[in-house]
Amino acid sequence: MQFDFDAGKYAIYVWPAFALTAAVFAWMIADSLGAARRWRREAERLQAERAKREARGS
Amino acid sequence: MAFSRWAAPMFGAIAAVLGIAGLILTFAAPEDYQQGDTVRMMFIHVPAASLSLFVYLCLGIASFLALVFRHALADAAAVACAPLGAAFTALALATGSLWGKPMWGTWWVWDARLTSVLVLLLFYLGYLALRSALEDEQKAARAAAILALVGLINLPIVKFSVDWWNSLHQGSSTLFAKPGNGLPPAYAWPMLVMSLAYLSAFGSLWLVRIRALVWRRKARALALQAAES
Repeated sequence: MQFDFDAGKYAIYVWPAFALTAAVFAWMIADSLGAARRWRREAERLQAERAKREARGS
Repeated sequence: MAFSRWAAPMFGAIAAVLGIAGLILTFAAPEDYQQGDTVRMMFIHVPAASLSLFVYLCLGIASFLALVFRHALADAAAVACAPLGAAFTALALATGSLWGKPMWGTWWVWDARLTSVLVLLLFYLGYLALRSALEDEQKAARAAAILALVGLINLPIVKFSVDWWNSLHQGSSTLFAKPGNGLPPAYAWPMLVMSLAYLSAFGSLWLVRIRALVWRRKARALALQAAES
């Protein structure tokens, strides 16, 4: 199998297209994982606070 | 939640493996006799364009289920896929533009395919704007769901625009390709592998975003309880 990374005179179109694709995927992954982590931590923090309140109340 | 706990990483791993295989096949594919090396952009542009339509279909179905059955998970599924769909649509437009300049001699033309895809992007952005514009979340969900259903009309227009009108954009060369217009195996394989990679990546990220929204709902309910007590 031979690879051709030389896009010749089209390099100024081909490589930005691949770079843009990589950037969009990086944003989608970072934004999705970041939101999931942020809200899970927030829910767990509030759950722990509720457990503390309930322990104090009983 | 239990399904997404194992399915999201599984789809993510499949996407990574297929993505690497797709890139290997992309750069091992021969130059096209007419398009030269720009043909490699096909393997990142066409899957993004296909996903822009598929994700909108998911948005429409989820919005319909949320509107009719008032199911919270269907609403979460709709909200979760909209930013991903917008990203795939913007990517299809941008990579298409980068492909169009050397092949057509222009970055943009107001022809049926390009314009209908731009309208698709505006439907995604309109959906997201409507969700965040109204303070009452239920009202926002209902209004955005109706907008999403209206936008479904645009899907066949995007798909068949190249058949219904004279367009600079080529006709389908993958699924629904007319006889003689299909891709040769050297291009069909990277296209198939990259398409499956994009689809798996969407599946994984969609599930991650749905989980995030379920956690957000839980956090807000707990915050409300804390404020009341």
